[in-house]
Amino acid sequence: MPTRLAALASVLAAAFALWPLFALDVAWPGTVRDYLEAKGTVESGAMNLVSAIYLGYRAYDTLGETVVLLVAVTGAIGMMAAGSALAPREAGGAPVEPARSPRREARSRQRTELIAALSGKLGAVILIFGLYVMLYGHVSPGGGFQGGVVVASGIVFLALGSHGAAPSPLVGARNLARIESAGFAILLVAACLGVASGKGFLAPPLPGGDPVSFIIVLNAVIGIKVGAGIGLLCVAMLTEEAA
Amino acid sequence: MIARILVGLLLLTGLATLVARRNLVKKVFGLAILNSAAVFLFVMEGAHSGQGAPIVDGSALQIVDPLPQALMLTAIVIGVCVTALALAIAARLHRATGSLDIDVIKERLGNGHD
Repeated sequence: MPTRLAALASVLAAAFALWPLFALDVAWPGTVRDYLEAKGTVESGAMNLVSAIYLGYRAYDTLGETVVLLVAVTGAIGMMAAGSALAPREAGGAPVEPARSPRREARSRQRTELIAALSGKLGAVILIFGLYVMLYGHVSPGGGFQGGVVVASGIVFLALGSHGAAPSPLVGARNLARIESAGFAILLVAACLGVASGKGFLAPPLPGGDPVSFIIVLNAVIGIKVGAGIGLLCVAMLTEEAA
Repeated sequence: MIARILVGLLLLTGLATLVARRNLVKKVFGLAILNSAAVFLFVMEGAHSGQGAPIVDGSALQIVDPLPQALMLTAIVIGVCVTALALAIAARLHRATGSLDIDVIKERLGNGHD
């Protein structure tokens, strides 16, 4: 089997090439850690130094990251939507219809009453937990991306639990897409506010204020945007099933 | 050292899944495993320099290096994006050819275009 042999050879080659990386025994430099421990909270306002880095020192990178997520969601939805009857219509077209009856019956066979009853009720709890993780990201483990992913899983629970009954407006693909776009627009405006007040791109805009409020706002906006984006992906893939 | 070797094995597992499996969805799993191995390596290395979580709340523990954790936050998000896009491509190929096996897909696509 030449394919098997080639696969084995490539894995062995990778092992050989990466071996120095894993065998290297150099002490991790502590300079950054010491600097951040001493100055991070004062300079960025966040007690959680990971938040201080990704919303303070490297906020520009985080902005790019949200763009990557936006592009990935757009690409994935576009790729799944092309040629699919289930696809969300273009702007101006009819809103997304719920699945047609044969498909709905197939779906209800796959989803038991247990899942429907449990996940619909868990969804709300998980949404609240996601909001907590997102809003307290500056003082405790968490932040916009982490909270956003929890919110997305809450949206998935709501989508799983909303069979039969009227689905929550949160699981509609169009609503999620709107929320994500609005979140990204707010993020851009928040990033530019610092320019208007003369502090610089992505700098806390309020003069003399505690920079922590800006971190909280960024965390909340990023969380809502990421939650809507990943939720949209999951909802799109859920409605895609058995297509 | 043991931990590093395990992470290295995890990385090789991801690579082997990526190159040796024929099923597209399993290839995507391989990509995700590769990504996790890289994340593990960075977080593990950064964690050598302390014991406490990188939160300045006055506890006596020396904190770990927060920089690799912040970098890996980015890597995880990019990993999710890559997985989502790859799965969307796999779904599209499945709809176009009716198969997830890479050889069958190649054959059917080739026949369609020749």
